[in-house]
Amino acid sequence: MNAIIFSAIFGVVMMFSGVFFSSKQLIRNLAIGLMAALLVLNAAELQGYGLFDINLNNMLHFTSFGLVFNCIAFAATFIYLLLSARDIEQVGVNLAEYFALIFFILCGVGIATSFNSLLMLFLAIEIISIPLYILTGSDKRNLKSNEASLKYFLMGAFSTGIMLMGIALIYGATGTFSLDAIATATKGFETLLTGGLLLLLIAMSFKVSAAPFHFWTPDVYDGAPTVFTSFMATIVKAAIFAAFIKLFEKAYLPSVASWKAALTFIIVATLFIGNITAVFQQSVKRMLAYSSIAQAGFMLFALFGYSDFGKEGILLYAAAYSAATIGIFAILLKMSDYTFDGYNGLAKREPVLAFVNTIFLLSLAGIPLTAGFFAKYYMLVAAVKSGASLWLVIFAVLCAAVSVYYYFRVIQAMYFKTATTEDVTTAPVTINFKVILIVLAAIIVLLGLFPHWLFTKVYF
Amino acid sequence: MGVTQILFWVLTVLALGSALMVVTSRNPVYSVLYLILCFFAISGHYILMNAQFLAVVNIIVYAGAIMVLFLFVIMLMNLNASVEPQKNKWLKIAGAIAGGCLLLVLVAAFKDADIKTQLVQTKDGEIGLINNLGMALFKDYVVPFEISSVLFLSAMVGAVVIGKKE
Repeated sequence: MNAIIFSAIFGVVMMFSGVFFSSKQLIRNLAIGLMAALLVLNAAELQGYGLFDINLNNMLHFTSFGLVFNCIAFAATFIYLLLSARDIEQVGVNLAEYFALIFFILCGVGIATSFNSLLMLFLAIEIISIPLYILTGSDKRNLKSNEASLKYFLMGAFSTGIMLMGIALIYGATGTFSLDAIATATKGFETLLTGGLLLLLIAMSFKVSAAPFHFWTPDVYDGAPTVFTSFMATIVKAAIFAAFIKLFEKAYLPSVASWKAALTFIIVATLFIGNITAVFQQSVKRMLAYSSIAQAGFMLFALFGYSDFGKEGILLYAAAYSAATIGIFAILLKMSDYTFDGYNGLAKREPVLAFVNTIFLLSLAGIPLTAGFFAKYYMLVAAVKSGASLWLVIFAVLCAAVSVYYYFRVIQAMYFKTATTEDVTTAPVTINFKVILIVLAAIIVLLGLFPHWLFTKVYF
Repeated sequence: MGVTQILFWVLTVLALGSALMVVTSRNPVYSVLYLILCFFAISGHYILMNAQFLAVVNIIVYAGAIMVLFLFVIMLMNLNASVEPQKNKWLKIAGAIAGGCLLLVLVAAFKDADIKTQLVQTKDGEIGLINNLGMALFKDYVVPFEISSVLFLSAMVGAVVIGKKE
């Protein structure tokens, strides 16, 4: 409850900071300070110091899994703000409002990890989505940003409609929004309930950009201001996965055998389309959009092989994927040219940036000694334990091998190519920026060596 | 066939017919007007279920405020059939097939759902009365009610961010 209430309050505080402070630096530091406070308050609740005792009518249910997930999301946002708060200033003049919207999204994240009623799920998804539509279109003078925002809004509204239709059908079948009641009602094969769950599955797949509902992702991620793409491709996507897995546990698990076929299709399509299309991209930003689709395919294995092991895996995956992608985007923001050629000779110009970028890319590709390796390993083991057929796992490993190609293209450009034109430049970076990136890379390597470190606080 | 049933069928035909017209009419202004008609028919359904408050709110908020705003925007943009972009023929066919498949599957699945035996409460249903609605909203559903304020606040902030002159 701490996370939800304080993120809403901090959002309002940020909103008013724009009125009272004119200094951009002050607003930025306030946002970073409040973010740290939010992280501490959420960690306090994990330790048993919840500040609120409210009769929630069983609408929200706080578990250690959800709270650890919040911690990961808030820590990732904290690092994101440290790295990229200056770049948020470049987007437009409404700096305080952008931070306020980010805090409101975090409120939605808090609900998404703790809902126990379909009504709260709907609210969580909407609280996350609506500020994102605005952040996507915040670069008002850029036509691509406008297009992306409108596209995202229309598609998002449509998928929300499908989700509401599904929730309405489930309500018609069970007479309640409560997940617990739905879990006990799923014993038989009820037509209305199955129809509702199918529509809900489609809507959630849309929100996590799983194929074949992924068409909005590349355009939106490419068109949005890069600094906000970084936020929505990582923290938001991971939070919706947390909601998805919680929903799956209660609503789909009782009849999981009949959902496996649909899930298998979604996973195979997501892995295939994401990885194969990423190979052909010329822009690194667009490649990262497709790679985020491909990574979503791996995260879907947590649903396929639902177990405590799978849940630990999704925590690790969320942390590894968010940390690496935030780092890559922070470096991308410093480049003047977003194509692969823009990275040519980066190792000569900025050896530190090139080195940490290599660690992030290796982690995304799933190379051992990085967190990404264990994240993928947990996912595949969870799938095997749940009785997935071997060809599915082999297919996933092959897709991971394909992903190595496009991640290594960046590394190759950085180390083995020289910049041909003089106008390929990198924005000057401060020493603080480098130190934070090195810390982030260290976290990824440490998680790759000791992944269980993340689970010590989770007692399922 | 009692009065309620006759009213039900009339309203149903009206709602479905005007909903179809929303999609098929070429002039966007007509579409909006048909949508308002559709909202009125649905409000009629609410009254049949003795949910007067919902019926009135539906008319005031949707048919009244939102659709009038819609109408203004469309008139200000001066859209008419001649500036409507021509859509690809194959796209239309693909859309029709996809939508038709969804309709077919849903109808086939729901035609023998066992909900058929539970009829809606007409006339003497009490859940839609403002008293009961208030109790449900502020007792059982007070948490989502309060949290939705964050949603509206963020939407308002967004409207200002998008609309403000730089």
